[in-house]
Amino acid sequence: MLRGVDFAVEEGEFVSIMGPTGVGKTTLCLGLNGIVPQSTGGMIKGDVTVNGLNTKRTLVPELARYVGLVFQEPETQLFNMTVEAEVAFGLESLGFPPKEMGERVEWALSVVGMDGYQKRSPFSLSGGQKQRIAIASILAMMPKILVLDEPTASLDPLGKTEVFSVVRELRRQRGMTIIMVSFESERIAEFSDRVVVLREGQVEMQGTPDRVFAQVELMDEIGLAVPQVSELAYTMNRRYHTTYVFTQLEEAYQKLTNNSGRPWRRDSG
Amino acid sequence: MASAPRLEIRDLWFDYEADTPVLRGVSLTIEPGEFVAVIGQNGSGKTTLVKHFNGLLRPHRGQVLLDNEDILHHSVGALARRVGYVFQNPDHQIFGATTHEEIAFGPVNFDLPEDEVEARTVDALESFRLTEYADVQPAMLGFGLRRKVSIAAVYAMQTPILILDEPTTGLDWKSTSELMQLIGELNRQGRTIILITHDMRVVAEYVPRCMVIRKGEVLIHDSTREVFRQAELLESTHIQVPQISQLGRRMVTLGLQDGILTVPEFCDAYNDLMSGT
Amino acid sequence: MPVVVDLYLHRQSWFHRADPRVKLLFVAASLVLLLVFKNIFIMLAALILLHLLHLSAHMPGEKFLFIWRTLLPVGIVMTVLWTLFYPTGNPILEFWVIKITPYAMVEGAVLGLRIMAMAFVVFAWLYSTDQPSLVRSLVKLKVPYEWGLVLALALRYIPTFQGMYEIISDAQQARGLDYSDATGYKRVRAMMPIFIAMIISSLRASDQLAKSLESRAFGAHGIRRTYIHDIHYRAADYFYTIILLLVVAVAIYMRIAYNFGIHPIRLL
Repeated sequence: MLRGVDFAVEEGEFVSIMGPTGVGKTTLCLGLNGIVPQSTGGMIKGDVTVNGLNTKRTLVPELARYVGLVFQEPETQLFNMTVEAEVAFGLESLGFPPKEMGERVEWALSVVGMDGYQKRSPFSLSGGQKQRIAIASILAMMPKILVLDEPTASLDPLGKTEVFSVVRELRRQRGMTIIMVSFESERIAEFSDRVVVLREGQVEMQGTPDRVFAQVELMDEIGLAVPQVSELAYTMNRRYHTTYVFTQLEEAYQKLTNNSGRPWRRDSG
Repeated sequence: MASAPRLEIRDLWFDYEADTPVLRGVSLTIEPGEFVAVIGQNGSGKTTLVKHFNGLLRPHRGQVLLDNEDILHHSVGALARRVGYVFQNPDHQIFGATTHEEIAFGPVNFDLPEDEVEARTVDALESFRLTEYADVQPAMLGFGLRRKVSIAAVYAMQTPILILDEPTTGLDWKSTSELMQLIGELNRQGRTIILITHDMRVVAEYVPRCMVIRKGEVLIHDSTREVFRQAELLESTHIQVPQISQLGRRMVTLGLQDGILTVPEFCDAYNDLMSGT
Repeated sequence: MPVVVDLYLHRQSWFHRADPRVKLLFVAASLVLLLVFKNIFIMLAALILLHLLHLSAHMPGEKFLFIWRTLLPVGIVMTVLWTLFYPTGNPILEFWVIKITPYAMVEGAVLGLRIMAMAFVVFAWLYSTDQPSLVRSLVKLKVPYEWGLVLALALRYIPTFQGMYEIISDAQQARGLDYSDATGYKRVRAMMPIFIAMIISSLRASDQLAKSLESRAFGAHGIRRTYIHDIHYRAADYFYTIILLLVVAVAIYMRIAYNFGIHPIRLL
């Protein structure tokens, strides 16, 4: 499925992974915490090394201390009767003392903006809230690396906004290495230090959002969307021979209106 | 295919539990051949409303009419001939031993003659480029393909009205575009298409009309461009228009044309602005 | 909105506060006592005591009515059937082969009341123990944690599967599936598309759940699992345990040594 994927992530980096449906993004995520190949079978040629640990030789529960994985669907990630039990579950599995668990639960809930929800039932929560609890339950374990596999795919716009604001907060705090798989190129442009694009089981290209999203034609060929403003820059450059580069809305607005609030002449960049 | 029926909702009230009405006196008309997106937050009542169109839910008060005929006493199975419904999760439909069997299920339920069933199945397989998977068990296919199978299966029923619940969620942009173009083609053939979606870019680029639902009421039902102009209304229900529309809106005060939906439109409008037209 | 399969009602009462293991012991002890005795006065006394227990545990009236409504018919049927099929003693009424004797009637009533009493015992336990505590009590009594988790997961996912059934049923009906005319075996066959889709969906869901559990270090070797809210025996719980054990011991002694409570009407 994956055929020669080769890349490294530095500590504290925010890396986004994009690729067409079915290319193997989820398999890659599962490979980061050992579930692939330990639980799913199959074979890995080559190695995945996480925090110095080899994912073929270190057991999944041990890797879970260092790599946290949040999946797409809140419904099959939450299975406890209270939010508190849910967020503490990983800590219980790792044998933490109750007092420290209570503190970490409180901290994790505040990071995701759900303070005081300890005694609530996860059933009564909205999609966005459920996914935030799923994130909190991983955060509580304080992994060094957080992997988010399409975290907002099943959510409505409000839920997406809620979850991305958690992601924004985590990035701001800079305590964790974050790897996010997503199609939301506009958010990816906002958060990422680096974007890795997969195609047919391999890394097709990687680089800063500016570099990757400038490759509009290639991305289109692969089947992925770039931020609309990047597409705009590309289109304008082709039509009017400008040299615009932007990947975010504010940036686009500023450059198109050249900071003075008035649109500038079209042939300047 | 006969012309699509006119779908009318009159003063529809519905609730799941005693005191919390999910739909409050909704009235609307969907014209034959209309292609409309239904947007709103989860919990706004949009799915509840749409489930009334094929009888999955029945009104507590009010009426649902197809070509002026109340559908109250028609069973869901009978209404399935006129209103097709593709559910959001393809795994809630897929059960067949082969993709061929899966797609034939609808026509078979209609007691159509064998050669008709076969013709429709082959047509659906080809239209959705699934022919190579005809003998494969659909449950074993990847997500994108399962999604296509579930839509192809309802397409084979050849219903004049087609409802699709978030058909592009989880798909990459290329698959999304291909699917939307196919759906657009179905609309051009005269089918009424009702599309529930959260993807505003899909709406901007492919769907001509739009309906916004909030707290059990229809806030607006108009052309997409007009709906996208209603900034406060959309904000009140946490809906964000696509990035290019947001950029366009910010430049309206500078003289840019309002209601930008796509990148090419923005380019043209910006060019007009710069050259003083 | 899905409702969880959980009979638990949160109340502040001595019974609620009792350790769930005490309540398990209470259930075991009560069932033993109810089965050991066959006297009508003992059954009536048991019922009265159970009602007092429920009252002191602040059970709402509607739950009482629910249990009575559900079980009274059962109790009555049992009484009647027993009377009809096991007549002993002198009949007061006779027609054909049917003999109605007071002895049998009382015996039947004992059976009926016993069923009701057992129901009140079990409900008292389930109403006053929340699911995590219940599972925790089993695990502390040496049931392996994994079994407790499986039980908890099964209970938690019942409403999910109910919801899944409804959605899948809707989806297949929207494709023209109509099974309203079919009955019995034909109906089951007609519903196969629903069942198969459910099985496939459930398998996917459980696979996802397993990955989620693993991602949270479930099954870590050599680590003793801890619990954020553990249950502890307090002084009151030791007290209850001793009382329960004493009562059972005394009752069984009386039963064996003095034949106490064997006869439906006479106590000794």
